Amino acid sequence: MADNDLPSGDLDRRRFLHLAGLGAAAIGGSSILSACGGLKGSGSSSSDVLKIGLVSPQTGPLASFASSDSFIVKNIQDALRNGFSAGGKKRKIEIVVKDTQSNSTRATEVTKQLISDEKVDLVVASGTPDTTNPVADQCEASGVPNVTTIAPWEAWFHGRGGTSGEGFTYTTLFFLGMEQFADCFFPMWEQVGATSKDVAALWPDDTDANAFREGLGEMMRQEGYNPVDGGKYQDGSTDFSAQIAKFKKSQAELFTCTPIPPDFQAYWKQAAQQNFRPKLATVAKVMLFPAEAEALGQLSNNIATDVWWSPSHPYESSIDGTTATQLADAFAAETGNQWTQALGSVYSLFEIAVEALKKADDPKDKDDVAEKLRTMNYSGISGPLDFTDGPEPGVAIQHPVGGQWRPGKKFDWDVVIVENSPNPDVPLGGDVEPTFA
Amino acid sequence: MDLLNAVLQGLLLGGLYALFATGLSIMFGVMRIVNLAHGDLAVVASFLALALVTNTFLPLWAVVLVAIPIFSVLGYALQRTLIQRSLGAGPLATLLVTFGLSIVLQNVLLESFSADTRTLEAGSFATSAIELNDTISLSYIGLFGLVAAVVTIVAIQLFVSRTRTGRMMRAASDDPETASVVGASPAHIYGIATAIAFATVALAGLIFSMRSSFDPSIGPSRLLFAFEAVVIGGLGSLWGTLLGGLALGLTQSVVSHYDPASAVLAGHLVFLAVLAFRPQGLIPARAV
Repeated sequence: MADNDLPSGDLDRRRFLHLAGLGAAAIGGSSILSACGGLKGSGSSSSDVLKIGLVSPQTGPLASFASSDSFIVKNIQDALRNGFSAGGKKRKIEIVVKDTQSNSTRATEVTKQLISDEKVDLVVASGTPDTTNPVADQCEASGVPNVTTIAPWEAWFHGRGGTSGEGFTYTTLFFLGMEQFADCFFPMWEQVGATSKDVAALWPDDTDANAFREGLGEMMRQEGYNPVDGGKYQDGSTDFSAQIAKFKKSQAELFTCTPIPPDFQAYWKQAAQQNFRPKLATVAKVMLFPAEAEALGQLSNNIATDVWWSPSHPYESSIDGTTATQLADAFAAETGNQWTQALGSVYSLFEIAVEALKKADDPKDKDDVAEKLRTMNYSGISGPLDFTDGPEPGVAIQHPVGGQWRPGKKFDWDVVIVENSPNPDVPLGGDVEPTFA
Repeated sequence: MDLLNAVLQGLLLGGLYALFATGLSIMFGVMRIVNLAHGDLAVVASFLALALVTNTFLPLWAVVLVAIPIFSVLGYALQRTLIQRSLGAGPLATLLVTFGLSIVLQNVLLESFSADTRTLEAGSFATSAIELNDTISLSYIGLFGLVAAVVTIVAIQLFVSRTRTGRMMRAASDDPETASVVGASPAHIYGIATAIAFATVALAGLIFSMRSSFDPSIGPSRLLFAFEAVVIGGLGSLWGTLLGGLALGLTQSVVSHYDPASAVLAGHLVFLAVLAFRPQGLIPARAV
């Protein structure tokens, strides 16, 4: 936990102060927290050192999104140990990591600290709109170049009041949007051969799910599918009998959802108890991480989800040529954990940051670097990303393929790519199989 | 038929709420403590069970039988070392101690087990049900939760009304000074009450974890429903807690049948209505 200023030690004192600050904030104290950021000692202020700040949810409910962060930071620092040349000079890189504690207010605060205390040259952030939006807003306001990922672009762009066609000056994002979910899910629905066009949809009443209800729901109707909406229940619900009864009544054979992970676990088990067994389940927002598949056990078999990055994606690092497979293997060897999709995404954040700093005439000139970010068009471990060609300026689109969770060889559960029409570069690992035959 | 299903599912859910709220109710009834770490303790119990399942060859039912007494002992120890010290310093101190405990537990769990979503793999017990007909199926785990709630609450009631320790518990709760004059040791009695509370919170936590999943940060969100069940039923009354849990589960489930968007809100409104019009709760008695 705690804000890891990776180049320096001295964790105990900071951890203590951090906890103390947390307690104070939680009972209404508040501003003690901002003092904690000032405890950094190390770091050179020389212009030869370029500082990148990483903001991510290392603790709290969103922590799964950041589980590969420290591995990646170390990996990037090793790869760039000898520095690189930017703006006609040899530059070293320093990475400062900040934890949002899965809280958007805290995300704003730590971004402020990075900008005013650490004087970072660029900020990267990842892990749901709760992280990306406050960080981007702060960077935009302070004029610091910023790139974020793992937040649907609509939530990032419209959620921050972006003007269509103009976009933002300092902030950019790469990820996917509603259209990409449709491109990924619909072909799988076709392939599984459902006799009914009804699609049971478990969409709670939160920003993500409401975007699906309006966006994906509309696209479904255009393609002749009929969403059977289970209703806008509250996140954190413990009982899904009403939704399951409705789905059973509709006799829908297809199922899609955008719940929070613990709700999905409860729902999916309850659906099994009450005998709603859809022919194919294509889920979003959940089953992104192997731990979730392990937690569901046998019930994970052949649940389909969107896969924007996997070790079988045929891409390599723009920093040192590491392939996606090598990166996943190195992660497994070093941490003992299975790869997650966030591994590729967070890695790409640093690729893009380094790329922009290299391309700029003066990497210390924030306007110059921001301009390079907005016009970035490069290929790295997440594949080709073009920030000039997205649905809005400063947005690069990834095209997820369809994958299904199946018993794996190295780990208990692994994603097998079963539908690659959105991105034919990714090799298929198998065919679409029914979730429940 | 659909409505009947909603009612039955609501009772199953309510049973689990009641079981989960029992520990909160006991600690309030005996020591006047609102234990803010209650939800986190349930999560700790789940991680304890998970560690036992992964590191021993015990089957899950045996782990449940082992984890509950371990947790009881832990409860006794925690009361004697931590909570007892704060009791003398007034209600705010205990509130702060349990609040601090909640934060410490969440972060210790995060450090030692990571943020991953876990579950207690109960196999077909967690996924099968008694199918009465096409629309109604009563899950085994739901039935187990309801039965466990009723049995636990009846057992604790018998314990406090029929046994010597139980009577001392009531005495210590009424007036600790006088109770100690006549030979009861309030600290020890409080320890026993905490041990019982911890046993129930462990059982409820384990059932929650088999039914759904858990991670280090999920505790506080579960605390809310337990807290509401206690208040709806009447602070300090165990029968009230049972009734409060059932009322909350029933409200959520039946409202959800008509409008899923209002289900949780309806539960909160019942809670608010009780606070406003019947602040003593449905059964305004003393637990012990």
